[in-house]
Amino acid sequence: MSGNEIKYFRPALGSGSPTQAAPLPSIKRRDFLKIMGWGTVGVTLAGCDLPTTVTLEEGKETVVSYLSPEEYVIPGIGVWYASACLQCQAGCGIHGRVREGRALKLEGNPDSPVNRGKLCQMGQSGVQTHYNPDRLSKPQLRKDGKLVDISWDEAWKVLEEKVGAAADKSAGARVAWFTGTVSGHQAVLIGEHLDALGSKRHFVHEAINNAVGRAVNQDVLGEAMPRLAIDKAKLVLSFGADFLGTWVSPVHFATEYAKFRSGARGVLVVAEPKMSLTGANADLWLAVRPGTEGELALGIAHALMKSGVSVPEAARAAVTAYEPAKAAEITGISVQRIEQVAALLKQHSPSLVLAGATVEGQEQGYQAASAVMLLNVMLGNVGKTIVSRGEFPFPQLKPRTGNTRDLVAFAAAAKDKALDVAFFYGANPVYTAPASLGLVEALQHIPFKVVLTQFPDETAAQADLVLPVASSLEDWGTHVADYQPEQGVITFQQPLMEGLYPGTPGVGDALLKLLKMREAQKYGAFNDYFSYLQNAVASLPEQYKAGGLTNKQLWEQTLQKGLLTVDSAPGSLKTNVSAITLGEVKTDAEYPLRLIPSPRLGLWDGRHANIPWLQEAPDQISKVVWDSWAELHPSTAARLGVQEGDVVEIASAHGAIKVKVYVFKGVHPDAIAVPLGQGHEDYGRYAKGLGVNPLKILSPAVDAKTGELALYSTRVKATRTGVHEELVKEGRDNTSQRGRKLVATITAEQFRRTEGV
Amino acid sequence: MLWIQWDRATRGPVQQGCVVLLAALALACAMPSLAGSVTPTSIKYPIVPDGTHAGKDVEQPIEFPHDIHTAVNKINCLYCHNYARRSKVAGIPPTSKCMGCHSVIATDKPRIKQLTEYWEKKQPVPWKKVHDLPEFVHFPHEKHLKKFLFDNEELVQNLSVDTVAPVCAACHGDLRTMTVAKKVKPLNMGWCVSCHKANGGPGDCWTCHK
Repeated sequence: MSGNEIKYFRPALGSGSPTQAAPLPSIKRRDFLKIMGWGTVGVTLAGCDLPTTVTLEEGKETVVSYLSPEEYVIPGIGVWYASACLQCQAGCGIHGRVREGRALKLEGNPDSPVNRGKLCQMGQSGVQTHYNPDRLSKPQLRKDGKLVDISWDEAWKVLEEKVGAAADKSAGARVAWFTGTVSGHQAVLIGEHLDALGSKRHFVHEAINNAVGRAVNQDVLGEAMPRLAIDKAKLVLSFGADFLGTWVSPVHFATEYAKFRSGARGVLVVAEPKMSLTGANADLWLAVRPGTEGELALGIAHALMKSGVSVPEAARAAVTAYEPAKAAEITGISVQRIEQVAALLKQHSPSLVLAGATVEGQEQGYQAASAVMLLNVMLGNVGKTIVSRGEFPFPQLKPRTGNTRDLVAFAAAAKDKALDVAFFYGANPVYTAPASLGLVEALQHIPFKVVLTQFPDETAAQADLVLPVASSLEDWGTHVADYQPEQGVITFQQPLMEGLYPGTPGVGDALLKLLKMREAQKYGAFNDYFSYLQNAVASLPEQYKAGGLTNKQLWEQTLQKGLLTVDSAPGSLKTNVSAITLGEVKTDAEYPLRLIPSPRLGLWDGRHANIPWLQEAPDQISKVVWDSWAELHPSTAARLGVQEGDVVEIASAHGAIKVKVYVFKGVHPDAIAVPLGQGHEDYGRYAKGLGVNPLKILSPAVDAKTGELALYSTRVKATRTGVHEELVKEGRDNTSQRGRKLVATITAEQFRRTEGV
Repeated sequence: MLWIQWDRATRGPVQQGCVVLLAALALACAMPSLAGSVTPTSIKYPIVPDGTHAGKDVEQPIEFPHDIHTAVNKINCLYCHNYARRSKVAGIPPTSKCMGCHSVIATDKPRIKQLTEYWEKKQPVPWKKVHDLPEFVHFPHEKHLKKFLFDNEELVQNLSVDTVAPVCAACHGDLRTMTVAKKVKPLNMGWCVSCHKANGGPGDCWTCHK
């Protein structure tokens, strides 16, 4: 160092080379923050030359004082509010820290029995959903084929024409709602809206769901979502149920898992074709041939039967058919292993056997999941580790749980020209639907599509009217999780701050507005969703007002806690095992591999691809960031002649994707796993154009019993393209700061002058 | 954890119980009257490390004269920057506080006319930030004031702008000699660490980086 000024640092003081002098365009950020600005101290309105996060700058940022201070506000000191997390459908409670009118940090609500004070990375990232610069601020209407900004008045007027009082009943029946999982009063109002129109078409879609498992639970146990006492089990055998990552209620299960592992350490055995986060924590991990989990379960059942465990009569034929040698041949798991697992299950009682998406997402998914449930019945786990949750006391608030059957049905209804108007909320079917369903073409047959969303996603791009809605941190709501832990709750959502975009309604407010167009009499009394919810709490039965609580006190107490505990008397579970029939496992010479569209705690089903934190957070297994990859077993990679970073083309009968290879032992040689979440054609600057979407090339095959899409059954072939690109992973010896000034530098001379040493 | 009720009128949070600022205000108001012109030499001030910074002249929307307020009119620093003792940030005084005096004092001066214009338009003044720290640095004003001011018994006995200003001057320079503030201390990590060493401040990373 010869005392030269390091040119990267502090360009304002630099010597004026062209690269230093050119300021980065900063207008967008400034405008964005201006919109946010309302009377606060310490707001940074950065008219900056370079990011201000690291450098010490004088006179660059603006500090705006209060005009008149609110008496309880001390700049720099935060206040915490309770609310609800809406980043997935698990229904966690949150506490949000608010300072100077801004929501800054989210944590788990310790009072919530779902997450008990914990919050996963998706929940933590709620602030980046809320402050996302790609949020929509104005309604858009399609005019001459293009979406153009319109005023809110015009938007409501258009809706009045389409679904208002003037629209007749027969037209009303041709209106549909297409949503993600919804619950609480939001679900009630959607139902009421459809009733008011005389329609019954509510399609509920989630790409990551456990619809098949719910069906099996309902048929065998008599309850769709019983309580799973992982902490009471001495052994958990999971067939692809990634309960620590993406399955049902991961934060809740993670705390249960911690109890399961402490004390007398429980044993975790995981059988799946691609290692999940849960699989990575297993004591014994079995790479089962994709699509043969049912056969493996029956093989284990057979080994148990041989060791004297009784088999329910209805399933005896199936169990007898799969002696371990046969199961081993089909599944690729050796006879010794199958017998070892059976012995472990016998030793560790009670145990808990779970079936996840890789089991259920098959053409015989229901049968395979039934085979897994059969193990629980045989081992006597029902009533011990699988416990009745009882009926939720307010059935109207229960979640309408998402599935893929409704996606198929919706595409069919659209194709049949059965719909005139479709409302979309909380779902992005244009992104999540396999191309083989032909949804985009089918949507052309729906004359008027209304999308309620925060972001310009793929479905919004197909809309005729786009209605921006409030973020979850700006909105009111009540939410009921499908999986209710030992204490049933309704989680309350309250705004943590003023809406960033004036005029943008909450979802409940938008629904009320739509309802008033048809049922002014019934809903006129409610100014807004807030008063509707207040009224709902006031109408709770007397037992909720014990101790002489007034309605106001009950409301305030509920908001303060962020939840309302409800009583549901647990009943007892049944064990109705019926016959299990597993067909032949098909092979396909042309398409020898199975595609595993693996979900990640992070990008989830793609809804979080626009959150930079989650893009930057490395995948739990591969450590890849900001990209897609294909996980291949070393033997498969060798057969194809590819290494890490080589681009392969993965082709099914329904399309092809090109993606970089990640070679990994934790995937079955017959499988190729591509994570969900990337490959957005829209959805804002952070999501667009990164990686590939494996859902696009899936086959439209469905589970024979439930009609759910068999998401894990698509057969593919992989071919090398000869292209090689670097796969960007965390933990590489890459010292480039990529222009982000993570470590600031100054000259030796400056150091001597300024450090005070 | 403090819970606050949602206020329908403002669509903003409203606290149930209230934090009383009146006592603090009364104390702050009383400060100028306590002002003695002599600084007792026995008051212990922080040992300030060497190190200077050639700060820029920052152009502010209103050229605020710190010198007139402090050196001439003897107004205590903490009267205007009253959040400094309670919060990590010292805070820029709300415009209402400026107008508390300037609705009657010096109303004919151009700078006050400028201020009044902002006030009447209900716009806060967009002051420029002079003393900036990286966002990963946690500098709590209240902790520093507690140690060097409020736990400093002799100083508390002799509270005045002239006894308080040297505490603030450790990082901000002597504002009694400036009009608009100018950065004269480096405020970088080495300098902070030197000061922590000299005055027995904490030396672990996560005190400041959290």
